[in-house]
Amino acid sequence: MREIVTIQVGDFANFIGSHFWNFQDELLGLAEEPHADQAYKNQSLDTDVLFRAGETQQGTLTYTPRLVSIGLQGSLGSLSSHGSIYNDVPSYDPSHVATWEGNVTKQVAQPHKKNLFLQSLYKEELHQPTPSTNEIKDEDLVKCLENDVQYWTDFSKVHYHPQSLYEVSGLFTGIQGFDNYGIGKDVFSKGPCGEEMNERLRFFVEECDHIQGIQFVVDDSGGFSSVAADFLENIADEYTNTPVMLYSARGPGTYMNPLSQKGSISRALHDAVSFSRLSPLCKLIVPIGLPSLSTSKVSSFLCIKDAKPFHCSAVYAAALHSITTPFRMGLPGPTVDSEYVTGSMDVSGIVSMLTGQGRQNMVTMLDVAIPAPPLTGVRSQLNFPESLYSLTPEIAVDVEDLEAIEFMTILGALHSGGKQASILEVKDSIVSTYENAVTRPRFCHLSASLCPLPVPLPFPSIFGNHVGQRGELLQNPIPGSKSRGSLDVHSIPIAARLRSSSAVLPFIEKRLGHLRKFGIERGAAGAQLLRSWGFENDEVGDMGETLSKMVMSLDPYSQVSSDSD
Amino acid sequence: MSLRLLNPNAEVLNTNAAVGMNINAATGLQDVLKSNLGPKGTIKMLVGGSGDIKLTKDGNTLLKEMQIQNPTAIMIARTAVAQDDISGDGTTSTVIFIGELMKQSGRYIDEGMHPRILVDGFDIAKRATLQFLEKFKTPVVMGDNPDKEILKMVARTTLRTKLYEAMADQLTDIIVNAVLCIRKPEEPIDLFMVEIMHMRHKFDVDTRLVEGLVLDHGSRHPDMKRRVENCHILTCNVSLEYEKSEVNAGFFYSNAEQREAMVIAERRQVDERVQKIIELKRKVCSGNDNNFVVINQKGIDPPSLDLLAREGIVALRRAKRRNMERLVLACGGEAVNSVDDLSPDCLGWAGLVYEHVLGEEKYTFVENVKNPHSCTILIKGPNDHTIAQIKDAVRDGLRAVKNTIEDEAVVMGAGAFEVAARHYLLNEVKKTVQGRAQLGVEAFANALLVVPKTLAENSGLDTQDVIIALTGEHDKGNVVGLNLHTGEPLDPEMEGIFDNYSVKRQLINSGPVIASQLLLVDEVIRAGRNMRKPT
Repeated sequence: MREIVTIQVGDFANFIGSHFWNFQDELLGLAEEPHADQAYKNQSLDTDVLFRAGETQQGTLTYTPRLVSIGLQGSLGSLSSHGSIYNDVPSYDPSHVATWEGNVTKQVAQPHKKNLFLQSLYKEELHQPTPSTNEIKDEDLVKCLENDVQYWTDFSKVHYHPQSLYEVSGLFTGIQGFDNYGIGKDVFSKGPCGEEMNERLRFFVEECDHIQGIQFVVDDSGGFSSVAADFLENIADEYTNTPVMLYSARGPGTYMNPLSQKGSISRALHDAVSFSRLSPLCKLIVPIGLPSLSTSKVSSFLCIKDAKPFHCSAVYAAALHSITTPFRMGLPGPTVDSEYVTGSMDVSGIVSMLTGQGRQNMVTMLDVAIPAPPLTGVRSQLNFPESLYSLTPEIAVDVEDLEAIEFMTILGALHSGGKQASILEVKDSIVSTYENAVTRPRFCHLSASLCPLPVPLPFPSIFGNHVGQRGELLQNPIPGSKSRGSLDVHSIPIAARLRSSSAVLPFIEKRLGHLRKFGIERGAAGAQLLRSWGFENDEVGDMGETLSKMVMSLDPYSQVSSDSD
Repeated sequence: MSLRLLNPNAEVLNTNAAVGMNINAATGLQDVLKSNLGPKGTIKMLVGGSGDIKLTKDGNTLLKEMQIQNPTAIMIARTAVAQDDISGDGTTSTVIFIGELMKQSGRYIDEGMHPRILVDGFDIAKRATLQFLEKFKTPVVMGDNPDKEILKMVARTTLRTKLYEAMADQLTDIIVNAVLCIRKPEEPIDLFMVEIMHMRHKFDVDTRLVEGLVLDHGSRHPDMKRRVENCHILTCNVSLEYEKSEVNAGFFYSNAEQREAMVIAERRQVDERVQKIIELKRKVCSGNDNNFVVINQKGIDPPSLDLLAREGIVALRRAKRRNMERLVLACGGEAVNSVDDLSPDCLGWAGLVYEHVLGEEKYTFVENVKNPHSCTILIKGPNDHTIAQIKDAVRDGLRAVKNTIEDEAVVMGAGAFEVAARHYLLNEVKKTVQGRAQLGVEAFANALLVVPKTLAENSGLDTQDVIIALTGEHDKGNVVGLNLHTGEPLDPEMEGIFDNYSVKRQLINSGPVIASQLLLVDEVIRAGRNMRKPT
């Protein structure tokens, strides 16, 4: 067994994570459910890769994510930072204070109310036979989640280990103030924060018999990217041979507020600095987070509200889930098939596949089709690989790149008409589309699983009215409400793809351009700002160097290196 | 008011209102922290929005927990937290001292005095007080064998403000012994060499000092012994797990047999490393009943664990980086980075190594070491918030002892220094100052009294009586502090109440600086807030 440890840093990363773990929990539940679809019973997926088995002091067995989640103080909402299972109910009685004989005062913060969904989870746990009149209806739960999700814990149905949740405290800034690279710079190195994060990670790694990799999701829109950079530096130091896959994600919120000129320079520099600092510290970086997910091509069959991180993060989490599925397939090798899954891979396999061949490009795009179109049939005038759209912002479309490398995962593919396609059919169909295609990538790897993406109850209602119960695409819209959620759609087929291609060039070039314009050039408008973030001139120069090397590796004839003179 | 033209929404406070606002914020923060001070203070139980409990009597912890919004208060809080970072204690004192300086200044400013003059007075008073502190401090000769009693007194003074007496006294011994254990002559003390480990188990009084090390993990093989005596300890940083050597190198193979062969070859390298360790074990353990323990910073995979277990070796993987250093200091030997350097000289020694299991948590105790230069304070407690509070107290205690050794001086506590300094300022310094800056010196001198005043207030004593009694004694030339039980003056030296010299110095240095800055603010402009209002 080859374990993966997951790290989530920052608020939006935790939103994505929360959905991600809900999928895992749903799969675990469905595997045991007697009436569930056959596909869930024989997933051929090893859940121990992501989860750990443990035991509380009282002897209760536990199964919790192998996860370190880092957020600002207060970002956990109604969830205790000690998790929910390992703690006995503490006594709030001031007279029970054992360490002080003098006066005790009690200061109680306004308690965060558990929302209807969390209440119902709690009740389920206690196995209270609720009288039918008092029962909470699923419709109400979905509605309550649609209307007020404030914290990522509000819709999480997973139990967390007490070592998993860490809150950064004592910053003296609000969340609004924690919005640039400089402000997070000292968090890790000063005070106990960095040590504590390292310790928690060590706790999970020590248990692993043979760790295959670390998947790291960071909300890189603010101060957390520098926290993550310092954390990654430590990881690279301590776990040298463990590959790290980094998803640098950002919520739509960061693009929405119009900024003053000063604000936009700060933002541009933050993006450039954060990208150039994070990328050398991992083996593979996947920037995700579109400025407007709702109007992008990804959402052809979805209706998403950009203002809600609850909505957007669900799409990214679904893509993440698909991409990580091959890590859990219990097969001996990448070319071995079984009836249920094909194309098993481990983290270092993917990393060396995407970055090792030809160009050493480690900036990868993430594409997704949610729900995936049918393999064959009416709607497939478009061929399947073309129906996947990018979640990585600022990239070029319609780029022909013969050196491209692709890694695709398809979960629970359907034929038109809603019949499930077997593994063999999936493979044949994809292979033939590639063979018939005009431009082909240099290399492509396919993983597939029969098991579709289950839609757990706390999944947002983001499906359009062309999506059927099993995620099939309907000819005619379903009359009634515009958006459909977990009550109407039970599972969906999904396809996701990591793509290493020169289409990502504009993304890097933009950052390089900003760094030069605002940071490096003589009299640059942001030079002062960079200095206040603690970067000396030569450090900034090094960052520019890093970025232009990336550009060069993708496009050797690029002009970027010459215009600096 | 050009700003008004540029941004009509900007809110501007003029001189008086601005200083008023700063004074309000400073005294507000003072009021929150005031009740913490001293051994008769109030402990605070903070219940968070999700039901988490924090217990604290430590100003530092409290400031970090409070989500302060007011910019003036944030400035003071940052100073106070910095005070803790630098000297390890004195956060509460800093806050109430700044608050009191502001309050005293407020009176003079109301009477029409310009803040600038007060600030000049503060500056003179600050320098004079620092000079006075040099005279007032009690020098302690450290040398090779430090006076344990004086260290204990300092530690006890700190700890009794954080924990109840019996617990404080128990920890006093533990902490002093811990610092003396890691102290090396002619070298600065590295408190990181004291490991602080905690267990949610039994009661707070079971907290103890382990001369040796406690690791928070155990062996990962069912056949390894849970308790071994007379152990050679190998501290190493060698990967004993099969891994693809370098990710980018990749495997290039054309059929399953080749792949198999490469895997076997890689595996063999790991096995060879394990074999070298086993050879060393055989060399030192054959013919006697000694045992062999491997503590590795890198991973050890199950096949390697198997090989080691079969040989009767106990092995721990993924040890903390810092424990590598601590192990060597505790057990002797040296940390090995490659199996090629293995020799019996690298090995450390421990009389006893055993495992303690609590639910899924495992602890490994490495004890009975020969001459430890590293040790572990093992904190036990019934729940997390009790443990956290004891941990904070232990940290402060360790810092206090370290400061004393490095300062080679202590300062009499219980408010004695403050009253004496005020006496000095009013009776000697004030006369030498020309003009109205005298009033600044006076304000400063009176602000110093906030410490004994607050101590008295927290003990339920009458502040005025206490101050009169104390200043009376000082006028007679007796240096006295406050007895919190009776309200009578006492001799801190007799009672063994000593504070850190460096804490006091830092306090007197930083307090007036911030107070002066806040007093000299003559306009507060609040603008631009709603431009970036979150959606």
